[in-house]
Amino acid sequence: MTNKDLASTRKNQEGANAPPPENRSTNLQIWLHRHPELAAVFGWVVMLVVFAFIAPTLFNVDSLGNVITVVAEMGIVAIGITPLMICGEIDLSVGAVLGTSAMLFAVTIKSGLPPVLSFVLAVAFGGILGAFNGIITIRTRIPSFIATLGTMMIWRGLLVGFTGGFPVYEERNIRFFDMLNGLVIHQFRASTLWLFALAIIIHTVLVRTPFGTAIFATGGNKTAAMMLGIRTNRVKLIAFVFVGLTAALAGTIQFARFHSVDPLRGQGLELEVIAAAVIGGTLFTGGAGTVLGTLFGTLLVGMVRSGLAHAGAPAYWYETFVGVILILAVVLNTKLKETVLR
Amino acid sequence: MTGEAPLFRMENVSKSFGAVQALQDVTIDVNENEVVGLVGDNGAGKSTLIKALTGVYPLDSGNIYHRGRLLRIRSPKDARDLGIETLYQDLALIPLLSVSRNFYLGRELVHSIGPMKFNKKREMDANVSRALMDIGIRMRSPDEEVEILSGGERQSVAIARAIHFGAKLLILDEPTAALSIKESQRVLEYVLEARERGLAIVFITHNIYHVYSVATRFVVLEHGKKVFECRKDEITPEAIIEMVKSGYNVL
Repeated sequence: MTNKDLASTRKNQEGANAPPPENRSTNLQIWLHRHPELAAVFGWVVMLVVFAFIAPTLFNVDSLGNVITVVAEMGIVAIGITPLMICGEIDLSVGAVLGTSAMLFAVTIKSGLPPVLSFVLAVAFGGILGAFNGIITIRTRIPSFIATLGTMMIWRGLLVGFTGGFPVYEERNIRFFDMLNGLVIHQFRASTLWLFALAIIIHTVLVRTPFGTAIFATGGNKTAAMMLGIRTNRVKLIAFVFVGLTAALAGTIQFARFHSVDPLRGQGLELEVIAAAVIGGTLFTGGAGTVLGTLFGTLLVGMVRSGLAHAGAPAYWYETFVGVILILAVVLNTKLKETVLR
Repeated sequence: MTGEAPLFRMENVSKSFGAVQALQDVTIDVNENEVVGLVGDNGAGKSTLIKALTGVYPLDSGNIYHRGRLLRIRSPKDARDLGIETLYQDLALIPLLSVSRNFYLGRELVHSIGPMKFNKKREMDANVSRALMDIGIRMRSPDEEVEILSGGERQSVAIARAIHFGAKLLILDEPTAALSIKESQRVLEYVLEARERGLAIVFITHNIYHVYSVATRFVVLEHGKKVFECRKDEITPEAIIEMVKSGYNVL
């Protein structure tokens, strides 16, 4: 009897038409479980409806353009941190890296360097700072939360120290700034195009490439991934470098809009982008996350900020709202998971 | 088969961690169409032996041969490339990834555009469905996340993967631990299936009855040494259990 015969005999014994294994969860629950980013989409729709009543002025082209401007800059970093969070790591230094890179961009432009060169230098510098975070985390095996909390304070301190706390301005109209963040249509800026380009690239890498699978595997179960031959440290290092690059990119884009940078630029951004990614269904513990979710998470966070302002609420309500949404989104996704896995 | 070197041989393998001698001069052969039941109490050296074979720990001394040819295994990837697949209890699959992505993890079918490699998803999905069907595993979809599969289904998928990629040696570390009786039964059937397809199998377990139903040979480890080896028809499960429980010397 050949192997094939044996196999088919066994299959026949078991009954080739037996139904697939049973799972008591409904298909809808399983589908929702596989798409945690839908919580952010749903939350965003609810938010739109609420603001349509309490802040109708939000819905004109200029206000929406302003919302998108803020969302695009935040979104670039949020998309940058998503692969790293899927790896199971975190980077609290993104705000400080953004500020430092923007400052480097400003200072080198003012010193007479061609803007394109300044840009490449600033973004590369962000990548180096990212690599530094990665190397500390991987080599010393301390949690990235601690490593990047440390570097966040180090970069910020150095930035304030070297600038003496003073902002840097660039009054000239530099054409390269328009490429980074000029107005394209109405109040809609080039930064939105950068965001979309980045989103499409990262989405494709995560969903369609072996490297994407390696990222999920690294955060899903690092030891198993290693046993299966994935070089998890290399995957993490690349993710760290990538966040650094996006933070720096956002820094230069923001400088192109403001024509100025102060040493506290980007402070608090780290918590906003982590909140945006988590609201979008990215697991803080790693192993899961989507670009679409992060986009909607960022949109939700950005809209709350502008929407509340348009509704005439004091600015400090913004954080309260984002906090509530953050907890609701995570509780919702966690409950859903428990239901499906029971 | 007589006269030919064994498919895989670990010869005089030793490994110590500080003052603890985890393995001492252990020699084990494994051949195709064979299931070696590797038994012994906790701390007998079963896991260390496997981790030495798969490149997780470097050996202090001893060699590993494939058909008499000396192998250099420095990492789990080396082992995998040589056709040695290991199924660790909780480390066989990544729970949050789909069955298909797990199946091809690290060995994806791709088409390249410049330096970028893209998954041939449709082809991989189709292959996974076929490979699972082939050994009698039914699944709703290869896109299903492993997380919602039962423990037995996970082990089965991992065994199917080893068969599909032409593994020569399959190492199972407690594959039936924490499984229901019915599920254990199914996993054991897939182990038999793998054996019938010519794979050499090392089956590590505490449950002598599980391994007894599929094994062709037994190796008993105690305190890092091989204390006993015999063919299945030379021994009863009760005798093996007694040996593991009270130490080889009482027998």
